[in-house]
Amino acid sequence: MVKVEDIKKEAKRILKEGKVKYIIGYKKSTNGLMSVPAFIESPEDVENLIWDPTCVYNLTRFLVDEKRRKAREKNPDERPVGIVVKGCDSRAIIVLLQEKFINRENIYVLGISCETTGVLDEKKLLKKLNGKKAEKVEYDEKDNFIITTLDGKSKVPADEILAERCLECRANFPVINDILFGEKVDRKLDNRFKSLEKIESLSKEKRWGFWKEQLDKCIRCYACRSVCPMCYCDECVVDTINFAVTADTTAEEKAQRIKWVEKSPTTSENFVYHFVRAIHLAGRCIDCGECERVCPMDIPLRFLNKKMEKEAKELFDYDAGFDPDQPSLVSCFKDEDPEDFIR
Amino acid sequence: MKKRTGVFVCHCGINIAGTVDVKKVTEELSKHPGVVHSEDYIYMCSDPGQNLIIDAIKEKNLDKVVVACCSPTLHETTFRNTIKSAGLNTFQCEIANIREQCSWVHKDMEKATEKAIKISKSTVERVLRNESLDPISIPVTRRALVIGGGIAGIQSALDLANSDFEVVLVERSPSIGGHMIQLSETFPTLDCSQCILTPKMVEVSKHPNIKLMTFSEVQEISGYIGNFKVKILKKPTYVDPDKCTLCDECTKVCPVVVPNEFDLGLTGRRAIYIPFPQAIPATYILDINSCPGLLPIACGKCADVCEPNAIDFDMKPEIIEEEVGAIIVASGYDQYDKELMAEYGYGKYPDVLDGLQFERLLSASGPTMGKILRPSDHKEPKEVVFIQCVGSRDPELHCEYCSKICCMYTAKHAMLYKHHVHDGQAYVFYIDIRSGGKGYEEFVQRAVEEDGVLYLRGKVSKVFEDKEKLKVWGIDTLIGKDIEIDADMVVLAMATRPSNGAEELARKLKIALDKDGFLAEAHPKLRPVESVTSGMFLAGAAQAPKDIPEAVAQASGAAAKAISILCQERLYHAPTVANVNINLCTGCGMCVDVCPYDALSLKNGKAEVNEVLCEGCGTCSATCLRAAIQVKNITPLQVHEMINACLGG
Ligand SMILES: Cc1cc2nc3c(=O)[nH]c(=O)nc-3n(C[C@H](O)[C@H](O)[C@H](O)COP(=O)(O)OP(=O)(O)OC[C@H]3O[C@@H](n4cnc5c(N)ncnc54)[C@H](O)[C@@H]3O)c2cc1C
Ligand code: SF4
Ligand code: SF4
Ligand code: SF4
Ligand code: SF4
Repeated sequence: MVKVEDIKKEAKRILKEGKVKYIIGYKKSTNGLMSVPAFIESPEDVENLIWDPTCVYNLTRFLVDEKRRKAREKNPDERPVGIVVKGCDSRAIIVLLQEKFINRENIYVLGISCETTGVLDEKKLLKKLNGKKAEKVEYDEKDNFIITTLDGKSKVPADEILAERCLECRANFPVINDILFGEKVDRKLDNRFKSLEKIESLSKEKRWGFWKEQLDKCIRCYACRSVCPMCYCDECVVDTINFAVTADTTAEEKAQRIKWVEKSPTTSENFVYHFVRAIHLAGRCIDCGECERVCPMDIPLRFLNKKMEKEAKELFDYDAGFDPDQPSLVSCFKDEDPEDFIR
Repeated sequence: MKKRTGVFVCHCGINIAGTVDVKKVTEELSKHPGVVHSEDYIYMCSDPGQNLIIDAIKEKNLDKVVVACCSPTLHETTFRNTIKSAGLNTFQCEIANIREQCSWVHKDMEKATEKAIKISKSTVERVLRNESLDPISIPVTRRALVIGGGIAGIQSALDLANSDFEVVLVERSPSIGGHMIQLSETFPTLDCSQCILTPKMVEVSKHPNIKLMTFSEVQEISGYIGNFKVKILKKPTYVDPDKCTLCDECTKVCPVVVPNEFDLGLTGRRAIYIPFPQAIPATYILDINSCPGLLPIACGKCADVCEPNAIDFDMKPEIIEEEVGAIIVASGYDQYDKELMAEYGYGKYPDVLDGLQFERLLSASGPTMGKILRPSDHKEPKEVVFIQCVGSRDPELHCEYCSKICCMYTAKHAMLYKHHVHDGQAYVFYIDIRSGGKGYEEFVQRAVEEDGVLYLRGKVSKVFEDKEKLKVWGIDTLIGKDIEIDADMVVLAMATRPSNGAEELARKLKIALDKDGFLAEAHPKLRPVESVTSGMFLAGAAQAPKDIPEAVAQASGAAAKAISILCQERLYHAPTVANVNINLCTGCGMCVDVCPYDALSLKNGKAEVNEVLCEGCGTCSATCLRAAIQVKNITPLQVHEMINACLGG
């Protein structure tokens, strides 16, 4: 059982000793149940840190922002950044290390084990409580969540309101950490791709219909991309505006701009965007589920990435985010790789 | 400056014009933006055709040219040189392939014409965005490496050395000579193999331009044509060749006896030994695998008796680095594995031999001093059955290919047997006789007519021991009858296969293997001595089963090809190489991992291209998520515009 006091103690220590420049963690929201990111710069602020089942955010995306900010600074503070990660989030760190986007010495990882549970699915909870407002959700020692509402406390089996990804999680324990909270507990997983079964059973036409309906809803706000720790490209290939123009961008480079996708959210353009993103995340997506969570149109984006994860596993026995030294999926090949799908 | 493109549409006789309306293509292209001239001609590659291009460039002041014709592999160079002679940069010419990719594969004229127009338009879109480029110039290390010291490697090395280039000859066994040094007499002239080979071996060892490294193997190769860096592992022989006087005292005291590889196990040798009397380098070596231990306590008898103190138990493996400009691979062949031929009793009955063992029996310096005796009881065999195609031409169970040399050497074996045993009978089981080659058919006829060799067309199903005889069951398919022969000896013409370790060697060199595991040539007809990697050439049986004259011819060909590189001061490399957009590159290194030519590395967190190594294959460009790396003159923008043109945009 993870005690938030332990996390606070460590956070205080490393800030006091000046080991880190700041810590990215979770704090209580001023608006609603779900916790929000906290940037703790002084030992006094450490009291704000929380750890409960509402800590769903994958904070590693902030490492991308940190890197950008640092690149702009004249005399950057070279100390590492402390970051609180769950098991799934820790895999994002592995991918970022694998892709040399961050350096190990630039981060100080406070890893938390989800042990036998995980984090909440807010929508499931709402449904469970029949519209009642939860004030607090806590872990108990077992596989339950303790929910406090105006009516008092109640116990709910975790798997009824766990986030979908937690039900299929294979990294309830941080893959990488500098200090660890909680224990390594084995969690049985019957089928890591269970959520795909229903959609996979549909005919090709039905699947097309499903995705057309879903992707037609997309308003191309790019929230999914903005929250994704793997979508850290300075300039996304689907952007028609050149974000990466710098003082030394040559006229020739500017002239090389290609408009692969129209800005307008029509069926074809939406498909292109989402296919590009799915392909770009193959072998990189670590299933933190953030894109789906932030989508204002409730598009089940996780399916797309989960399907790619399954293909990578089945075709190439590839798992993203466990080994920073393995080459990335699209840039490695083995003699035994299947090739019967090449026609 | 305005872009002025000229389009030249070739009829290729009726090859293109028969299926594609070339007039219509010409007319449609004349309307395409950026095109200021378009015309057609019956043979654009002919002199008058090329002159049309030159004249149009001058008259219409063209700065870009598209030739719509056959595949760029055929005439890209031709037309690029044409526009060069008219003063344009060679890279301002692109080929629209409307033959192989259009007229030859379609029947419907209307549709084919439409496609030819699209292909041509998209090529215009490409050339409009081509940069003018100059070839990349690189210096040449004017030395060569030859891998394998069989007859092929020896010939290549001598040809190079005699043309005044330094050669490093690497042979993995203790002596050069390869398989040819094991042979008795050679078809079709029956000259003594050792007698014609040893003078060449001696020449190698004495040649001032040849650095001979035996008992050595190539460990690692980096670099590129003109500038290879090679790491060679020199294994310890534990005998100093300069001190060894060949007195043979050591073998007299060595207590270990193991099968002698040179005689294919027909005789034994000591743990310290000389591979064969004429070995080059002429020295004894100590075989660490059979020696009980290098410590004097373990044995050390040889060192005790060695007067000149040539034995050095402390010898260590060495890594030697060499720089060369060209590489010839002559790693030869090996015989097919015996374990796989159990139905013929090979490895089970001592009197079932393979071809090379029989060569040793025939050899005047062999285990029996040239007498044909059965290994089991040293009696002269009176009935000998030779079986051809053992493992060859058997796609189901063994090798699909024909080993090519066996028909000839079996005829030789049967003939030589008859020369030794006048009252004996030789039978040859064959599928058919392949004796193409100068004097080859006459040679086989001689075996039949003058030496009375009995050729039986058919296959042997089984060989087994029966009362001191080897019973051979077969079928003669010409008369359709079963045959049973009580033989004293059976000789198997084992299939020839790529030499042990050929696969690993190919991987180190990054050259390809063919479907049978032999080293693959760049083109089966037009580039038979070149490998797919520039600067690396193939010689001898490593490329395909071959006899000596063919191996020697290819070896000299490979040497000539190597010389064509080494005789130059500088080489030129295509400038259509990858190019990194530093602003977009995040330094993820995926491109570095995928580049098949090791042309990429990360420097200061960004990808960097070694332009000399880059072959412009585009693999990196296809891999990069950020479109941060692209190949010059086939950039994503160009591809995008080409697709647009095809879609009619
Ligand atoms: C039974 C028999 C009888 C024959 N009789 C005749 C005949 O009468 N007339 C005729 O013309 N041909 C004959 N041949 C064919 C002849 O043996 C070959 O044509 C010839 O030996 C081919 O020479 P090579 O140099 O290509 O290969 P090899 O002789 O095999 O030489 C290759 C050399 O490369 C070395 N090597 C291999 N791999 C490496 C490596 N990785 N690194 C360093 N060194 C390496 C090997 O140790 C070997 O020394 C006969 C063949 C057989 C089997
Ligand atoms: S968050 Fe949802 S609506 Fe926004 S771009 Fe992504 S899929 Fe489209
Ligand atoms: S979709 Fe692809 S290019 Fe765009 S940000 Fe994500 S990874 Fe980069
Ligand atoms: S793949 Fe692209 S982003 Fe990654 S190192 Fe290569 S050029 Fe840079
Ligand atoms: S174009 Fe091919 S050879 Fe050149 S750097 Fe890219 S992957 Fe390597």
